[in-house]
Amino acid sequence: MKRFLLRFNWLSFVSMLALITIGAFVLASAGAARGGVFASHWKSMLGTAAVGLVFYFVLAFLDYRTVMDWIAYPGFGFALFLLVAVLLVGTTQFGGRRWLWFFQPSEISKLFVILCLAQLFGAEGELFRGQYGFRGFLAAGGLIAVPCLLILLEPDLGTTLTLVPALLVMLLVAGVWRKGLVVLLAAGAVAATAVLGAVYEAERPGTSPERRAAILRYVPLREHQVSRVKTFLFPERDGLDSGYNLRQATMTIGSGGLVGKGYGKGEAIRRELMPAMGVMNDFIFCVWAEEMGYLKGSLALLALYGLLCVSTAWTALVAGDGRGRLLAFGIATLVFAHVYVNIGMSIGLVPITGLPLPFLSLGRTFLVTVMCGLGLVQSVSLHREEKE
Amino acid sequence: MKNDTVIVRLVSFALVTVTFGIGLTVLAVRLKGEQVDRVAEHRQEMDSQSSRRVLTAGPRGAIYDRHGVALAVNRLSLCIELHPEAFRPTAKGQTTASNIAAALESLAAVIGRPPKTTPEALARHLKISLARPLKVWEELSEEELARFCEHAREHPGFVCVSEYERTYPQGSLAAHLIGRVGREEIRTVAGGPRMNYIEKDLKGREGLELQYDEYLRSMPGEDLLVVDARGFATRRETLKRASAGCDLRLTLDVRLQRLVEHELDGCVGACVAIDPRDGSVLASASAPTFDPNACVPVFPKKTFRKLSEDPRKPLLNRATAGQYAPGSTFKPVTALAGLRNGWNAATEHLCTGVYEYGDMRVRCARTWGHGELDLPHALRESCNPYFCNLGMKTGIAALKAAAEDFGLGRRTGIDFPTDAAGTVPDPEWKLAHCREPWYPGDLAQMAIGQGLLLVTPLQMARVVGAIGTGRLATPRLNAAMPAQDRPLPFAKAALGSVREGMRMVVDGGTGRKAGEGVDACVIGKTGTAEVGAGANRHKNTWFLAYATPNPTSAETTPLALAMVIEHGESGGGTTAPKVAAVLRGFYNREEATE
Repeated sequence: MKRFLLRFNWLSFVSMLALITIGAFVLASAGAARGGVFASHWKSMLGTAAVGLVFYFVLAFLDYRTVMDWIAYPGFGFALFLLVAVLLVGTTQFGGRRWLWFFQPSEISKLFVILCLAQLFGAEGELFRGQYGFRGFLAAGGLIAVPCLLILLEPDLGTTLTLVPALLVMLLVAGVWRKGLVVLLAAGAVAATAVLGAVYEAERPGTSPERRAAILRYVPLREHQVSRVKTFLFPERDGLDSGYNLRQATMTIGSGGLVGKGYGKGEAIRRELMPAMGVMNDFIFCVWAEEMGYLKGSLALLALYGLLCVSTAWTALVAGDGRGRLLAFGIATLVFAHVYVNIGMSIGLVPITGLPLPFLSLGRTFLVTVMCGLGLVQSVSLHREEKE
Repeated sequence: MKNDTVIVRLVSFALVTVTFGIGLTVLAVRLKGEQVDRVAEHRQEMDSQSSRRVLTAGPRGAIYDRHGVALAVNRLSLCIELHPEAFRPTAKGQTTASNIAAALESLAAVIGRPPKTTPEALARHLKISLARPLKVWEELSEEELARFCEHAREHPGFVCVSEYERTYPQGSLAAHLIGRVGREEIRTVAGGPRMNYIEKDLKGREGLELQYDEYLRSMPGEDLLVVDARGFATRRETLKRASAGCDLRLTLDVRLQRLVEHELDGCVGACVAIDPRDGSVLASASAPTFDPNACVPVFPKKTFRKLSEDPRKPLLNRATAGQYAPGSTFKPVTALAGLRNGWNAATEHLCTGVYEYGDMRVRCARTWGHGELDLPHALRESCNPYFCNLGMKTGIAALKAAAEDFGLGRRTGIDFPTDAAGTVPDPEWKLAHCREPWYPGDLAQMAIGQGLLLVTPLQMARVVGAIGTGRLATPRLNAAMPAQDRPLPFAKAALGSVREGMRMVVDGGTGRKAGEGVDACVIGKTGTAEVGAGANRHKNTWFLAYATPNPTSAETTPLALAMVIEHGESGGGTTAPKVAAVLRGFYNREEATE
């Protein structure tokens, strides 16, 4: 028991509980302001968190190696099946076909892809044991590409944007074709710059429509994605479309000031200055930042997320084997990417994309997914000595 | 992986942690920029986005006569307003406009007449003032209101409100005096808070409504509309309630005004009656007239065209803006000018029935002449040769000075927008305006109130009042305005003999009909001005009266009254009886109590 208490990653667990509590509070405030069905969402989120905790502890006490042996590959297959199913029979909401029955397969698939990758490169006696050269990279690329493409087809750019960094970190840590990856990353950065430059040139004031069309023909983005990039590049320009969301979000956050307007006193949501649904989801951070201000709100929240991510990564450092390390890094990076993209998009750092903020956004699938992931990482922490 | 050294593990942990740290620091710095450095900017932006200020109008002040009889008041007009926020699209394919159109159609069936809004006006309203209600039905009748209330529950978003509308309870009475109103955006105070919307308020366009517009107009209030992201109102607050404008009490006496208008009915002409002691205008009428209620809330184009194209000019306020030759009513002024310049009232002059100067001949009313006349008798008979002679002896400068002492040739100073100055000609004036030299005949004509001389009925009422009291009062309509007058620079004896002449006018002279049966002491002067040329030649007939009440009179107010009737026969025959009727109505007890 003492060993258990010592090995349990208390920091990660406590920061997670703290974030869940904050999530319940901020959803209660936003819901009260919205009224109607929204008023009770915080309760259902707490209920979901309770279910998530059950998963968390079950996964934490089971040996993660057993779990991964059992479910890593079948789970991946299952995730692919769900992603195809959602494309065929899913429900459309907010411009994306993302819903299957009561959950979003793309959220669950994040966990399964990470598990599969960790299993592939971390398990002993597996195919790519030892040195993972270009062959390993190809295998990993194939593995990642299928779900990512399926998610992109929904379309859900945000999920892909957060999954890719997590997988990249895992590949780098696993030592899969390191040199090639670095080159690839550099190439990706160049490509991204080129795309940004092209969109900038196309949307710059004074560009003729013909020239714009000619440029955009070579840019691999859809029209709505182009408009988001455009908003990112020229936030002040288009006031009513996607730029509007950004402007409202930044204004809401900024108006909170150093100490905020007080819990339950956020004006943006009460005056309906923010889109109603988005404010409970993708823009929930705005509510928190407006009500609690910079110090108690933004900084405290960032510190908690930092604590969660770093303590999760700490598990990777002390993990007993490669699988555990990859899993911990993967989950830590996934959470971090969500935090960075979600908060970054509401202040114009990142193009606007639909993406939940872990523990705060109203999104049950993602909450359970993240808690399962953290439960597995806790298992890594608890079971680290056995095969030393 | 198993072979990874501790160093590799540590490095990868450090790299990942540092990446997290950098990312979170970037977020923290950017958030500080928005939340700490630019907080004022963001707060201002939020305030401006979420609220709209509206300048609202209140009720306009009322206008009463001297006894408190309402002449212009506000009535409540029932309207149905539409609140756009109740028609937000809820399902796919709906728009606010389509929701409203459907609701309007349904409500139109209930009320029984189509809304006054066109789809274009509706679209415009939704575009520029989405946060504000829109009036869709105005002037709801009781029955329509009942029908609306019965079905109001099925039509959320429609509210019945009452709006102030100007109304004139006395109808056409004193229409020219009161004037009319239009609607105009409230004028904002410079330097005040910026308003997003400005309501329209009643604005005086003519008459007293224009003269006292600032006074009657309401003090605007201020509403705050809190709006959501789409611009729909979510809350309304009244920051400042609009307060009613001040009420205006006039010097006008509705009873006398009614008597005067009754006498003018059917004629073309005007009549002004003032209290000579303080210049209070007791009645001021112009005929023909119109009903100002016809131009509320807007002057219908058809009505306006009909009125403005009428050859009898019903829109013209003849009492203050009608300029007429005074005819013989000017003779008292000529007489006083002569008396001030050495003319002797008692000296008798011979009237042969015609006055000749060079090749000019001025005929007297009596073909064979009046024989020997002194001044009072000359006034009594309104003898043209006597006054031509007097005028020629007095000279234009003295005559003009006397006319100007009576306030002729310039504005009376009445608190009213139209206040014509008239004309008192002299050689320079004639040269400048007619490009003709001054002939002696012009002076002779002027002495008997003809030729280039022009006066308004208001000016003449003032003249006769001044002769009666010896002081020239400034006419006024607002009872709260202090009375102003100045003494007439004429000798008492001179005024006395002119009054004597004017007494004789009524007492068996040309204006004997003006005093018939009047329970007051009346002096006066007739006037018959021949104007126009050729087929249009006609007579404008005048009567000036100064009446002082007897102890038995119903009223204790003296009256100075000037009445002119266009296309009359003679001052004594056409106008004097009408004046008598007015005076009888005003002073005689039995008629006053009728």
